Amino acid sequence: MSAAVLETENLVKVYGRGESRFDALKGLTFEIQQGESVAIVGKSGSGKSTLMHLLALLDEPTAGVVAMNGRPVSQLKSAQVSELRNETFGFVFQQFFLNANQTVLENVILPLKIAGVGPAERRRRGMEVLEQLDMADKARNRATDLSGGQKQRACIARALVNNPSVLFADEPTGNLDTATGEVVEDILFGLHRDRGITLVIVTHDDDLAARCQRRLLMQDGMIVADDSGEAVRSAGAGVGQSSREGSRRAGGHGKHAAPVVVDGPGLDGPGPDRSGPDGPDAGPTAPGAATADTVGQDENAGEERA
Amino acid sequence: MRAVDIAGTALGNTMRSKTRTFLTVIAIVIGAFTLTLTSGLGAGINKYVDTMVSGFGEIDQISIMPGADATAQMPGSSGPVAYDPAEAQATGEFGMAMLTDEDIEAIARVEHLSNVEPVVFVAAEYLETADGDRFTLQSMDLPANAAALELAAGAKPARDAMEITIPETWLEIYGTEDPEAVLGETVTVGIKDLTQQVQTVDAQIVGVSQAAISGVGASPMPSSALNEELHGLQTSGLEVEQPQAYVQAVADVEDMAANEQSVKAALSEEGFMAMTVEDQLGVITGIIDTVTWVLNGFALIALLAASFGIVNTLLMSVQERTREIGLMKALGMSGGKVFGLFSMEAVMLGIMGSVIGVGLGVVVGLAGNAALVSGPLSGVAGLSLFAVDPMALVLIVLLILAIAFLAGTMPAARAAKKDPIEALRYE
Repeated sequence: MSAAVLETENLVKVYGRGESRFDALKGLTFEIQQGESVAIVGKSGSGKSTLMHLLALLDEPTAGVVAMNGRPVSQLKSAQVSELRNETFGFVFQQFFLNANQTVLENVILPLKIAGVGPAERRRRGMEVLEQLDMADKARNRATDLSGGQKQRACIARALVNNPSVLFADEPTGNLDTATGEVVEDILFGLHRDRGITLVIVTHDDDLAARCQRRLLMQDGMIVADDSGEAVRSAGAGVGQSSREGSRRAGGHGKHAAPVVVDGPGLDGPGPDRSGPDGPDAGPTAPGAATADTVGQDENAGEERA
Repeated sequence: MRAVDIAGTALGNTMRSKTRTFLTVIAIVIGAFTLTLTSGLGAGINKYVDTMVSGFGEIDQISIMPGADATAQMPGSSGPVAYDPAEAQATGEFGMAMLTDEDIEAIARVEHLSNVEPVVFVAAEYLETADGDRFTLQSMDLPANAAALELAAGAKPARDAMEITIPETWLEIYGTEDPEAVLGETVTVGIKDLTQQVQTVDAQIVGVSQAAISGVGASPMPSSALNEELHGLQTSGLEVEQPQAYVQAVADVEDMAANEQSVKAALSEEGFMAMTVEDQLGVITGIIDTVTWVLNGFALIALLAASFGIVNTLLMSVQERTREIGLMKALGMSGGKVFGLFSMEAVMLGIMGSVIGVGLGVVVGLAGNAALVSGPLSGVAGLSLFAVDPMALVLIVLLILAIAFLAGTMPAARAAKKDPIEALRYE
């Protein structure tokens, strides 16, 4: 079994309090293995963005633990977290967030600049990564002069420039036409395949999700399905899941310490109010008890695959 | 992020909206410019006073006046005062206390003092050249002012010789413009005694003086001996002994640095007030400094206004660049570095404003000084109205940078607190 690069334990995120209290995440426990490609899918408001923010260490959970390479992140100081983000993560955004006033190269080397790498080294590595993405000839262009696909490639170059081990992509093809989107997808999965980069992709796009090795289906703050069938399956994520889920349940909890906690307050807490809102939405998946097992299931999935 | 990268990025960011940066910098420039001019003005005039001081050969001279016991003498104060002949004799015009001959002797007994001389005012009749031309000589400088004399040629009149200097404007009586040409000429000074008979004394011209802003050097200055002689003639002619009274006396102090305090204390004990040249100039310098600081105060108000311009500019910038800040934080830039970046932008504005303002101030100050000193004020020797004090300029720049930094802290803190998730949320 390969090592879990990211793992969560009873992850809870609550926004607001009192009347306006909103439980964005209701106790998630799962692992993402080194070199895995994971799609987090779900409707808007399902908590998938919140989950990605927590995994990417951009936000702190209300309760629960995010651990990186086996080390809980909550023990780190914010400066260390920033450093960790800079060194190990790459980010690809739907809206690119390229600085319009700077050249493509300047945009791409921003993470290196933040990391404190010297100017010559920054340039060298920036050009290197731009060449890999066939963007070297655009290095001196203003970021605004690029087409959508080129912008996203610049954005991927920026995400890759400090050799991250995990690449987070938030709707990476959301702003692109189908053809361009496919090119970007090819790049992302090529990186995953050739360089073993862990991909965490948040998306609405079933086709994109289907190309990932594993799909986490989010609904109302919970993972209602964890589908780790072989990649390149054109069937919609939602359909295949239920059957797998059913078979998985019997597997029970794995060896991890996590389930102990999960079985306690982590499950009981959100349990009762889950059946209400989840009822109608959870139709295709196994309702009720099935959801309660999602957490344990994740861990099994990891083991099984390995 | 390296400090040099932060500085470079900050500079690049200030250059993004040039109009806004330009307007903000103008406000700082006005403050820096004013501060440079006012402090340069103070430095210039003080420098002029300093050159006067350093021009004093006899820096070890001290002026002695009667102690300030003015209450009894002020008219309309505390009723009648018992008559004392000794005291009455020592009261001169305007009810001012005067020094008597006994006082002079008492002063001479003080340790470390030598060459004690009463200051006497001489009103001569005329100055006659060797050719027999006579010129009115109503006012003569006091020999005690010799220390402050600025010379165009020659030397100051020696204490014990019958010597005199004439001002540059008097060169025409010899029909020359070369001050060296008149050195060594003998003149005759005529003065009326108490019987209105004109008596004469011969003296030699040893120097040509320039008029200073204080008026010293604007009229002929006799040596101490010549002045004594003239005073003697002026009060002679009657059989009756004239009681002598002097406004002040001057004396030389042996080793001023070591003995200044003890001499002053001893004189104070005897009921006199003593002032060194520096004390006297210190009063002038004090006034100049006060005026300078008042002017500086106005410049600081301008800078205060400019600092709000910085706050405003940066707040707008932070608002506009929310996304960018969020991105930098997401990519691992710590809040501290974000704070550093934005306060650095404030400092960049400060650098631009202060360098331009100080540079402009120096250029305008020097040009204005040159124009005034060579133009309307050319008659005043050694005058400087504006001086470049590098230390003061550095301080001005540092002060402005500090103000700019402080102004930047509020927007910078706001930027540092931005939540990357909020900042990067899609609209």
